[in-house]
Amino acid sequence: MISQVFILSSKGDHLIYKDFRGGAGNDIVSIFYEKVTALTGDQPPVVMNHKDIYFVHIRQGGLYWVATTTAGSSPFTITEFLNRLAALVKDYCGSLSEKSVQMNFALIYELLDEIVDYGYIQTTSSDVLKNFIQTEAVTSRPFSLFDLSNVGLFGAETQQSKVAPSSAATRPIQSSREQGGKSEIFVDVIERMTVVIGSNGLLMKADVEGEIRVKCYMPSCSEMRIGLNEEFSIGKSQLRGYGAAVRVDECSFHQAVRLDEFDSHRILRLCPSQGEQTVMQYQLSDDLPSALPFRLFPTIERDNGGRLLMYMKLRCDLPPKSAAINVCATIPVPKGSVSLSQELSSPDQSAELKPQSRAVVWKIARFAGGTQLSALFKLEVPSLSSASMLEVGPVGLSFELPKITATGLQIRFLRLSPIQPGPSQRWVRYVTHSDSYTIRI
Amino acid sequence: MFSSHRHDDLKEMLDSNKDSLKLEAMKRIVAMIARGKNASDLFPAVVKNVACKNIEVKKLVYVYLVRYAEEQQDLALLSISTFQRGLKDPNQLIRASALRVLSSIRVTIIVPIMMLAIKEAASDMSPYVRKTAAHAIPKLYSLDPEQKDQLIEVIEKLLADKTTLVAGSVVMAFEEVCPERIDLIHKNYRKLCNLLIDVEEWGQVVIINMLTRYARTQFLNPNINEGGSGDKTFYGSDEDEDEDEEEKEKKPYVMDPDHRLLLRNTKPLLQSRNAAVVMAVAQLYFHLAPKAEVGVIAKALVRLLRSHSEVQYVVLQNVATMSIKRRGMFEPYLKSFYIRSTDPTQIKVLKLEVLTNLANETNISTILREFQTYIKSMDKDFVAATIQAIGRCATNISEVRDTCLNGLVQLLSNRDELVVAESVVVIKKLLQMQPEKHSDIIKHMAKLTDNIQVPMARASILWLIGEYCEHVPKIAPDVLRKMAKSFTNEEDIVKLQIINLAAKLYLTNSKQTKLLTQYVLNLAKYDQNYDIRDRARFIRQLIVPTEKSGALSKYAKKLFLALKPAPVLESPFKDRDHFQLGSLSHLLNAKAGGYQELPDWPEAAPDPSVRNVEVKESVRAVGTVTHRDTGALWGPQRMEGSESCSFPRAVPQRGVFLQTIAPSSALKSYELLHRITGEGLSVEYCFSRQPFSPDANMVAVQMQFTNSASSDTKNLHIEDVKLQSGMRVKEFPEIELLPAGETATAVMGIDFCDSTQAANFQLCTHTRKFFVSIQPPVGELMRPVFLTENEFKKEQGQLMGMNEITEKLTLDVKCRNEHAIVQRVTTAANLSRVPCGSDKECRFAGRTVTSGSLVLVTVATKEEGAAQLTVNCEKMVIGTMLVKDILQALTQ
Repeated sequence: MISQVFILSSKGDHLIYKDFRGGAGNDIVSIFYEKVTALTGDQPPVVMNHKDIYFVHIRQGGLYWVATTTAGSSPFTITEFLNRLAALVKDYCGSLSEKSVQMNFALIYELLDEIVDYGYIQTTSSDVLKNFIQTEAVTSRPFSLFDLSNVGLFGAETQQSKVAPSSAATRPIQSSREQGGKSEIFVDVIERMTVVIGSNGLLMKADVEGEIRVKCYMPSCSEMRIGLNEEFSIGKSQLRGYGAAVRVDECSFHQAVRLDEFDSHRILRLCPSQGEQTVMQYQLSDDLPSALPFRLFPTIERDNGGRLLMYMKLRCDLPPKSAAINVCATIPVPKGSVSLSQELSSPDQSAELKPQSRAVVWKIARFAGGTQLSALFKLEVPSLSSASMLEVGPVGLSFELPKITATGLQIRFLRLSPIQPGPSQRWVRYVTHSDSYTIRI
Repeated sequence: MFSSHRHDDLKEMLDSNKDSLKLEAMKRIVAMIARGKNASDLFPAVVKNVACKNIEVKKLVYVYLVRYAEEQQDLALLSISTFQRGLKDPNQLIRASALRVLSSIRVTIIVPIMMLAIKEAASDMSPYVRKTAAHAIPKLYSLDPEQKDQLIEVIEKLLADKTTLVAGSVVMAFEEVCPERIDLIHKNYRKLCNLLIDVEEWGQVVIINMLTRYARTQFLNPNINEGGSGDKTFYGSDEDEDEDEEEKEKKPYVMDPDHRLLLRNTKPLLQSRNAAVVMAVAQLYFHLAPKAEVGVIAKALVRLLRSHSEVQYVVLQNVATMSIKRRGMFEPYLKSFYIRSTDPTQIKVLKLEVLTNLANETNISTILREFQTYIKSMDKDFVAATIQAIGRCATNISEVRDTCLNGLVQLLSNRDELVVAESVVVIKKLLQMQPEKHSDIIKHMAKLTDNIQVPMARASILWLIGEYCEHVPKIAPDVLRKMAKSFTNEEDIVKLQIINLAAKLYLTNSKQTKLLTQYVLNLAKYDQNYDIRDRARFIRQLIVPTEKSGALSKYAKKLFLALKPAPVLESPFKDRDHFQLGSLSHLLNAKAGGYQELPDWPEAAPDPSVRNVEVKESVRAVGTVTHRDTGALWGPQRMEGSESCSFPRAVPQRGVFLQTIAPSSALKSYELLHRITGEGLSVEYCFSRQPFSPDANMVAVQMQFTNSASSDTKNLHIEDVKLQSGMRVKEFPEIELLPAGETATAVMGIDFCDSTQAANFQLCTHTRKFFVSIQPPVGELMRPVFLTENEFKKEQGQLMGMNEITEKLTLDVKCRNEHAIVQRVTTAANLSRVPCGSDKECRFAGRTVTSGSLVLVTVATKEEGAAQLTVNCEKMVIGTMLVKDILQALTQ
């Protein structure tokens, strides 16, 4: 059971504090903050204790979400609870930030009151909770040029209005009830790639984790059908037809999903509850249907002046019409590298030497498919030895591939039934992120 | 004084008539609470609004009230009547909310009111209110522990509740108020097991944990016949242990059907999307399941590794512990534990731990290759941990010791000092195992003393040289010479090792090093650190013979150069499993407050009949689609399992089953020996459809002996077993005495090799021998497996063509509903139902007992009793026979 729950900003400000069992000192929050900041390392331990009080915390949205317990409850329960709480707060407040939590403390209090009773978790289902929650969320809408550009000359709609702004999905679920207007549904197909490419250029490991996430603002959506690619198959043995099958190794579904049409037509049926939920998760290992998005051809040598020369050729193997954005290559360099001079093949790239992390960071804002970029880095390394050559690599790549899924999974259609009265909008978005894309040298 | 004026504006707002103003005021007050500021002086103004009609205001008032009631007891009493009125409200939400707030007000004087309210709410019509009543119980208990007995009565009542909403909450109350009253659970055990899957997820966690404890006190250890655990598992092959050893004395273990029920009903929850539920089931399986079945949890745990990093951290801690005990379980998922460059350090270190635990002869080369790339990482702590991991692999797996050692020696030329230092420390440990083969490495390390500055590494090198100075007789004195030079600038641990080195050299090679040693000892004598001065004085006395020195100096050589045992590099998770997995104590590796230790298995099982509930027959007749509330015990929605659980259990007691057992109507019994041919001894047998635990490849045959003669029968046993090749029999233990008129039961196992050939043997008593034979119906050669609809279809897709047999039939008139079909098919063959989206189809799945080939059965119904039966099975003979049997069962 949980004794207290509190939410702290990253600077240690008290945002929310709720004591369920009484009896704990008021200084407990500051004790926690001292403990958590005193530690070095990239992640403090999940569980910490002070006398006989145990703190379990997670970090989400730049905030510390902390629960304390005095005795014998499963740490799993508490971490899972905190994650769910963060998700619910996000659903109800629209987004997760210090500001949104601060503005919506009354709502969060109400939520906490319904979720936890005397330290026992009652329910975290947003369907149950929406019956109880009364408070309206307060949102701050950041000024955005995008909103203006939606309205063209003389108020005519422009092309832009066919695309939802990226902030469209960050609004509280409750407001739709009163505003009555926009009933929208957002479906995201998000994939994360983990790739290791050996020094010989061969693929050593490839792993894609994907999920279909639905965020629903429909006050009453009885049923929704999501059609996936017809040739979608699960497991190794099944191959349907001759075309390039979309295959995953393993697949799990949200408990609300009904699968009776899945086997025959690859249709997921569900009644989405308001808020965000992950409808389907899947994994694919080792056997990607398409070529890897990036290839790196490095050459590393010493020149006569004792400098280290790294010639990097990076090729983007996406289809020509698409592009990767926010590409960032991190190249570890030998200890003691002093300065960097660079020659980049095009002006929209940048590179810099980060002495603390001992790496050269090469950034490319937009990288069109089918093109190739190259860079020559000259590093001044005093005391360069052949051993220090070995310290170069492996290169880590991070990127985002909008409108692309690595597995090829597509959403064929999105149907709501019964047909919604009034205007309803459905948005589908695909994106592939790099989870860890490593190229060994 | 000042503060009372400070909130005047708020008080005014609260007293106004406008709800909007009140709301605004309450929001500001709650904001004060949220930031931890004191708002208690507003109590009188706030409490007036408890009866406010606006529900938004009301809820905020509740928040305030609960927070400050304890401090302002008298004023808080003003609000009580409002809640009492609320308890009678026709709206269930209001009743529940009133009870919740009332019970949260910590004022002792209202204890009787609370008690009354809880009792009333416990018999409320609405399950939501009953749930709230269950939550109120621990609150009242903590306010006034004297009420315990009355509260237990309420708990008992609520435990009998059949709704899923209440089940979780009441078990929470049970765990807090009276966890020792395990007897309250008996009657509800089966119901809880059956409801479990429909309970809300947080309730599931609590119930599973409670049932784990319950099972540990009520059932026998399923691994009882495996002998001392632990030792064997070191070599990983825990599944394929030979079963021959346990012939002597050991009674055959039969799993209590209730134990099985728990395992079966929790298994689907491994698919839950709540990590806490998955872990709860995983720990249940780890602590309760037979070894062979624990493997199922591995996949689910690996799946959790894709979750948030905090969850990953906790999961990996548990996996690390499990991977020591049950290595085989995680081996297929080795790759999932590879480290990603984006993992935080502590997760990397835990993954390393798991990888090290999983390393064995077959996969070590892959693991080492993986480790090699980790060493290039920029995260120093992680690199150090990797080097240690390599060291541990090298000690555990002797085949790769040399490879690892070479790799580590190469690291010595790394430019990073930390890497070098860590390698030196690990190499030292490895060399200690077989120093004689590696004098060149020692030489190499001696050279390193010029460069390495990390004290721990220098100390390790010096120690090594001292310890093995015989292997490097030329170099050792030279090292000492260099060290003597730099002695004053060294760190303390290095100085101590220099003294040690000097002493050892003095003893082995005094000619060359006498003066050096003297010099070092003299330097040490005037050192600032008293440890070093002490050590110097002590060593001088010991090694330099003077007339005063005692008897000890004769033994100096023995003291210093004794053979030292090689260090054991073992996992820090080695003994963690004495804490219950998934618990806070396990995570911290220290007993957390309130930790309840998992009880040990009992020696003999307590009476299992306490779990029997009388409603059995009436409920069995209920149709298939009844609502869950009625599914008191043999809930029809869990049809797959109920067949075997309804069979009365047999308790082994000293090899003889003294209880009278009548095979249940669901199981057909066959005659083995007629009363007349058996001269008064009659034997019947049935296929009990329970896993035969000594050997999973055998079919369990339950025999019932009845002695209707006038004299006792003694020494009932089996002899002269005649079998077709490949078949095996595990005899039941001899029944020493069967008195006249008595009945006894025993279980034997037969491996029929997936054929319907008979097993022939002699049944012997002390006077006579009877030839008997057991021939199984084909349906008994399989055991149920649980597949999802998808898996079923997938498997079916692979068993087409020759492996598929289809037959059209007309259903018997009495057998046209789903329930009847399911019952007839499961009676004819030991299969389990596969969930199916369409109501026109019934699907069943099983595996043959010996070879584990899948058997899939589909009955598709059409109008007017027409139906189609499809059997897919790799073994065509089994398939054909099964079609015949099921056809007969359905058409009759």
